[in-house]
Amino acid sequence: MSSSLTKIFTLSRTGVRYVGPSINVLSQRSGSSNPKDGYIYVNDKQISMDWKDITDRAAHSMFVTELIRGFGVTLAHIFKEPATINYPFEKGPLSPRFRGEHALRRYPSGEERCIACKLCEAICPAQAITIEAEERADGSRRTTRYDIDMTKCIYCGFCQEACPVDAIVEGPNFEFSTETHEELLYNKEKLLNNGDKWESEIASNIHADHLYR
Amino acid sequence: MLRTTLGKVLTGGSLSPKRVTAVVRAASSQTGKKPEQIEVFIDDIPVKVDPGTTVLQAAAMIGIEIPRFCYHERLAVAGNCRMCLVEVEKSPKPVAACAMPVMKGWRIKTDSEMTKKAREGIMEFLLINHPLDCPICDQGGECDLQDQSMAFGSDRSRFVDIDHTGKRAVEDKDLGPLIKTVMTRCIHCTRCIRFASEVAGVDDLGTTGRGNDMQIGTYVEKMFLSELSGNVIDLCPVGALTSKPYSFTARPWEIRKIDSIDVLDAVGSNIVVSSRTGEVMRIMPRVNEEINEEWIADKSRFSYDGLKRQRLITPMLRDNTGELKPVDWEAALLTVAKQIRNAGSSIGAVAGGFADAEVLVAVKDLLNYLGSEALCTEHTFPLDGSGTDLRSSYLLNNGIAGAEEADFVLLVGTNPRFEAPLLNSRLRKAYVHNELDVALIGPKVDLRYQYQHLGDSPSILQQLANGQHEVNKKLKAAKKPLIIVGSEVLARPDGSAILAAAQKLSASTSPEEQNWRVLNVLHKVASQVAALDIGYTPGVDRIRELNPKVLLLLGADDGAIEKSDLPNDSFIIYLGHHGDHGASIADAILPGVAYTEKQATYVNTEGRAQQTLVAVSPPGRARDDWKIIRALSELLGAKLPYDNLNEIRDRLEEVAPHLTKYGEAETANYFKQAQELSKGIKTQLDNSPFDVKLKELSDYFMTDSISRASPTMAKCVQAVLKQKQSKF
Amino acid sequence: MSYFGLDRFFTFLKTIKNYGGLKASLYKIYRMDSLRPGTLVGTDKFGNKYYENNAYFYGRNRWVEYAPQYGTDYDGSQVPAEWFGWLHYKTDYLPSQDAARPKYKWMMEHTQNLSGTPGQFMPYSTTQPKVQAWVPPKK
Repeated sequence: MSSSLTKIFTLSRTGVRYVGPSINVLSQRSGSSNPKDGYIYVNDKQISMDWKDITDRAAHSMFVTELIRGFGVTLAHIFKEPATINYPFEKGPLSPRFRGEHALRRYPSGEERCIACKLCEAICPAQAITIEAEERADGSRRTTRYDIDMTKCIYCGFCQEACPVDAIVEGPNFEFSTETHEELLYNKEKLLNNGDKWESEIASNIHADHLYR
Repeated sequence: MLRTTLGKVLTGGSLSPKRVTAVVRAASSQTGKKPEQIEVFIDDIPVKVDPGTTVLQAAAMIGIEIPRFCYHERLAVAGNCRMCLVEVEKSPKPVAACAMPVMKGWRIKTDSEMTKKAREGIMEFLLINHPLDCPICDQGGECDLQDQSMAFGSDRSRFVDIDHTGKRAVEDKDLGPLIKTVMTRCIHCTRCIRFASEVAGVDDLGTTGRGNDMQIGTYVEKMFLSELSGNVIDLCPVGALTSKPYSFTARPWEIRKIDSIDVLDAVGSNIVVSSRTGEVMRIMPRVNEEINEEWIADKSRFSYDGLKRQRLITPMLRDNTGELKPVDWEAALLTVAKQIRNAGSSIGAVAGGFADAEVLVAVKDLLNYLGSEALCTEHTFPLDGSGTDLRSSYLLNNGIAGAEEADFVLLVGTNPRFEAPLLNSRLRKAYVHNELDVALIGPKVDLRYQYQHLGDSPSILQQLANGQHEVNKKLKAAKKPLIIVGSEVLARPDGSAILAAAQKLSASTSPEEQNWRVLNVLHKVASQVAALDIGYTPGVDRIRELNPKVLLLLGADDGAIEKSDLPNDSFIIYLGHHGDHGASIADAILPGVAYTEKQATYVNTEGRAQQTLVAVSPPGRARDDWKIIRALSELLGAKLPYDNLNEIRDRLEEVAPHLTKYGEAETANYFKQAQELSKGIKTQLDNSPFDVKLKELSDYFMTDSISRASPTMAKCVQAVLKQKQSKF
Repeated sequence: MSYFGLDRFFTFLKTIKNYGGLKASLYKIYRMDSLRPGTLVGTDKFGNKYYENNAYFYGRNRWVEYAPQYGTDYDGSQVPAEWFGWLHYKTDYLPSQDAARPKYKWMMEHTQNLSGTPGQFMPYSTTQPKVQAWVPPKK
């Protein structure tokens, strides 16, 4: 049973070679280009007018072999392991450099990293970031507004490249689709909360990449 | 207060070229002979310059800019940053371009290997101790050190001390509520020190220590308090001195810059309003050689946060309970129109210090249509004699820049240091560089230069007018004498006599130049000259006589007229932008806009029409002042014949053509005629001594509805009072 | 045995047994559209179970079984940050083995994507109003 199944799998992969008649495409080429050159002639070719080829083509049309071969491919795929993954139970591979939902990070002490230098705002090609800043009571430079319009954002990652303190990062999360537009107009609190939720993964990603930057 | 400044000492008594040109201009009429020009070659381009010109200036003449930190064209040459080193052929060492006068036939190379290497070396030295905190530095983006290290610095670092063990750290100084210091960033260019001692006349800043231990500071724990202190923020090439109110709020690349005019005093300084997200972020000076050079006073620079507080953002009406309640425009205008219609011609208007020419002419047209002539300004000016009919009797005739050339100035009842700080800086400049002598009648105030105090009694003025005073000799001998009369003493009951005496005295002088105007009047508020030009009556006496049923206050907040001055059933309309004295006595409030929110005409004290431009949109439901009057006129059935700014400007031109000649000072004459007319004045000088309101720095900061609403200005006053308690 | 594919059949039976019988397995197929043998490598604090079976090709060899309390309202965003990297093949370390995963006291509990629920994020301004209006003095 196992071997016969294997046979069908193999058929489904290479298909035509076993089921189909041997219309050799190579033999029909008009000759001038040799595959050894590394070039393959891709234009329409002149079909062969040999008597044997003409009868072969007539026989194929008469016995609808193409249809049968098609059914064969379909049947073979039923027994094949699917190539798709079963989201949300299985998930595809991601890079540590994946650029997903934004987050504002904190220092280990819990102090927010962002110093309101506004470089991310300046570099953002979609002008999705809006920052307002003022002096905090303790004299440090902090933002009072840090808004990202996630619907404007093009996820280019320039903001995290521009950030001198690794405050704004594009985290790993991509599962943040919403039902309404306004839910995607993130403000500072939302971004800080994202950072607090995802810090484990963000820190691990930065660590994974630290040798390359 | 030495007259010989640091610069003179450094250059061995020879004058810096800026001053050379001034002196040459002054001396040209006397000698008429110019010294021979010498030829030098800069990057092989020949250029002919006057002797004494520095290498840096010679290069600037042919458009080659040499990098510099310490050199500033309005300050003495210090030559201590060494950034301007250039190679001179046959000279073994590079020379400092800012301090070295050119010699005949020099070949200067601003782009040679030696020059480049010298610049890179200097940049390395500067950056050794400069912190790399650009992301949190307010100067970031407009920093000379950033720009020049990109342009002239080395492209690689030899700095290996990654633990930053060797960087210099300097304690921050407390320079007061306006200037924030991060002294570690300082590169010791000493621009701030030179500005303080040369322009502001406050010798509080200086250096201590030598070499690596050199520090800029105030020697003792003292704040740097001056009416011009904010200018050191612009002068500082790095982020060592930055603006405290502006700190961390915006970046230079994200702000929108609009050229405008300052209205907080009558000088009309040219400013740049920086705005972002509909908010004024800061105000900086714009160069105008005829008015403010490149300085502005602290009140102009820092009172912008008053524009965000105490604002009138919606029309209001006083309801039956006597409380002001917000209403919509329709209700407000209908009520106001009904009251005006009931009043008939019994209506008056008082214009405050911030009223622009457009609204002044609109109100005048409306009230004239209604049959009223009761149009007054809040600030008084004598009406006797020529009164306000001749412009020469109420202008600063000789101009602000003209004060620089004067050789004798008599100040009558004024404190120019606080009434017009930029005029005072001109006087100080003339005092330092031009041997100006100053005499003052009035209270003894600190002008930051020496003057002869003649006393504060009006009788001294009388003696002078009669030619019986010792100063008369000096006045007569002076080639360019000036008499500057403060508008405040002219508001006294005997104001016309004071003006007449000043006119008589000015007629007794003999200025050398034909069009040198001796008599000058210094106003305190921005609207006064335009109001007088348009034909408003100075002073509210006419309102008191008339007892109008409806009174329109155009931002009149100085309390010249009280509710008790009017009959009980009178209806007061306040049209303005701040909730201050005027709004609290009003029965109806129509929210207007402040100077940063409108395109409007103001005429400064020298008679120069200038316009503000819209930097931010008006808050809430506030509207352009003249448009409110225009809308009201429609409801009254007296439709004013202008619908847009151009049309009302045409009307302004009809009334007084100079009001739309922006940037030009329209001079006035007829001094003789004015003096003839003043002879008929019956008023006698009384004996009460001259007084000015603004005597000390603490009086300066809060003078009008905008600066009274400003928290920064309040902090300034607190700082000055605190400084007074200090033992230094 | 393997020639007739019987090993697969026995694995199938063993899988059913491991998952707690026929009924539970049927529910699992209903819920997850598949029933696959795998090793349980860990459980997070919400009760989500993480399985691995390297016999499957890369990309299908790790999977999560959402905690029973979610029922059929499972969602991709219910995987907490700690397990995210492992499940996405970013790392082969389990969260307990990964030294680069810090634990700070300010870190927040993971939440799923709350869009469409009362807990959803609604933007608001974090700044003061720009202009303060004048309030008339009370008499």
